[in-house]
Amino acid sequence: MVFQAQQAVRAAILLFFTILIFKFHYTGEITKFINPKYIGLSQIASVLFLVLFFIQITRIWEKKTHHHHHNHECSHNHDCDHNHDHGNTPMTLKKVISYVIIAFPLVTGFTIPAKVLDSSIAEKKGGMAVITGKSEKSSTNESTNEEVAQSSDTEVLPNPYGEISQDEMNSLVQKLKQSDPINMDDYVYYLNYEEISKDVATFKGREITLKGFVYKEDGFQQDQLVISRFLITHCVADASIIGFLTQFEEAATLEKDTWVEATGVLDVTTYNGTEMPFIKITDWKTIEEPSEPYLFPLNVRIL
Amino acid sequence: MNRIVRTNLFDITGLILLAAAFLLLSLKLDVGDVLPSSFLNLNTIFLSILIEAFPFVLIGVLIAGVIQIFVTEEHIQRWIPQSRTKAIIMSCVVGALFPACECGIVPIVRRLVSKGVPLYAAIGFMLTGPLINPIVIASTYMAFGNNTAIAGWRMGLGFAVALIVAFLVSFFFRGHQFKEALTNTETLTASRKKEPFTKRFFSMLTHSIDEFFDMAKFLIFGAFLAAAVQTYMPAKSLLEAGDGPFSSIAVMMGLAYVLSLCSEADAFIGSSFNSIFPTPSVLAFLIFGPMIDLKNTLMMLSVFRAKFVFSVLFFVATTVFLSIVLVQSFL
Repeated sequence: MVFQAQQAVRAAILLFFTILIFKFHYTGEITKFINPKYIGLSQIASVLFLVLFFIQITRIWEKKTHHHHHNHECSHNHDCDHNHDHGNTPMTLKKVISYVIIAFPLVTGFTIPAKVLDSSIAEKKGGMAVITGKSEKSSTNESTNEEVAQSSDTEVLPNPYGEISQDEMNSLVQKLKQSDPINMDDYVYYLNYEEISKDVATFKGREITLKGFVYKEDGFQQDQLVISRFLITHCVADASIIGFLTQFEEAATLEKDTWVEATGVLDVTTYNGTEMPFIKITDWKTIEEPSEPYLFPLNVRIL
Repeated sequence: MNRIVRTNLFDITGLILLAAAFLLLSLKLDVGDVLPSSFLNLNTIFLSILIEAFPFVLIGVLIAGVIQIFVTEEHIQRWIPQSRTKAIIMSCVVGALFPACECGIVPIVRRLVSKGVPLYAAIGFMLTGPLINPIVIASTYMAFGNNTAIAGWRMGLGFAVALIVAFLVSFFFRGHQFKEALTNTETLTASRKKEPFTKRFFSMLTHSIDEFFDMAKFLIFGAFLAAAVQTYMPAKSLLEAGDGPFSSIAVMMGLAYVLSLCSEADAFIGSSFNSIFPTPSVLAFLIFGPMIDLKNTLMMLSVFRAKFVFSVLFFVATTVFLSIVLVQSFL
């Protein structure tokens, strides 16, 4: 029996990936990486890693006159159809590098804490251009959203991250259209945001309460800032920035990335030639960063 | 004696490296405060891409393992039509029905080709697999305000592009284009048939592990690059570059390539650009991204010759670009 160091390294890597993913789930950090809707899928990955680990540990000690169990007829590893590495060929510098690359996310994953994306990412993602764009686009297809059914008056219970039916969606929209003040709960935030951007005029003059982090960009006036959020479809790599341009005196004193909860009155303004919603803040306070800083889009069942 | 030490030296250093890494880990160093916040952002995005990709990659390598052990060349010959045209159409249709993700599909494609599936058919399958499937259709439909037009164009045009690229590959490339030689496998599968199921199942799993380690380094490297681009490259400079109708298509394709988003998740990002760029460019983003991107290219380079990979990249890019230019007036 011979100790196969490389196989041991591979087993260790598989095990540590299992533990890393498990750790993220256990500590709840996972919601800083992916939409909770996909938590199950990522747990499957953790289980698969564990299964592969148990398979892999059987290969650590193998007979010295080694031949592959599926490789009887071949004289050489690479003469056969499986043109890939079995981890039995001697280590070369190239292989050390590839193991270092594979171990890299393990090292950073265990040592570096997950960070909530901040306004510097918001800026890289397009910032105001994306936020104003939302309204510009929406105003063009305004006509399409008039077919909302009046019927269902049923209260929709928050069904976190699950799918909702078209009816439930419509009743959420109805609820928004009738509400004053509007409260931007995380659950309906994106839905409301879209509706308000589509048709700012309807909502003009209503009171609105929202929270988010402070985002600023060159070209803002002293008393302006955006109260913004990130919307995550799948994982934070696909985060897109949404938010409302607001105005209040103390805006200048607020640092980027400060979380605020604010109440104000919806209005319309033009920013770089685009009509967009705008909030005149009447009341605000700074808050702690919420435990779930990201927003997730509601999914409408199509079938 | 000297040689033994030399060949094992890397093994030993590998182990020591690993031990050092985990020692570091057990010390619970909080390096969060030392590193610049942009690196923390980068690391978070990097890990999130990996966490998102792992389930799909693992399922991909398991399927590849199943193909390797349980599917024989005779099966393939029976299933794939002899005529080239039919084979290409069939592969694209199968890809469209197969709900794959672009990170999981490369190992599957590699196994298919090594089992005798013609290269052009495998490429057709690789291009439609991640692009056309129910999850992608649903997310595109929703992201564009319940608009069927974009989702429809994405699927239809994507399918056409995949067909064209598969034909181009069939004209320009022969053989399997693998980096390493591949010889007759018939004797191998013949002997495999006699083995008991449990043993075959076990070798399927070990194959999957090997496949994972082949792919993982490219996946991880690609994810890191994509995260770095997101953290350090301002979209604004891109927006300014994409002013004209043609340059905006090119810019959006470039963006899709470097961002390396999952096809299931790119629709919302695409829709957030819908305002800044004309619809054809956004469509180019939505079609090009799932077919080939940075992460995917690196994974293909682990399997195929560089010349082949870059040719496919070139074929896909030009076909997507030209087809978008052609249909621009209908959008």
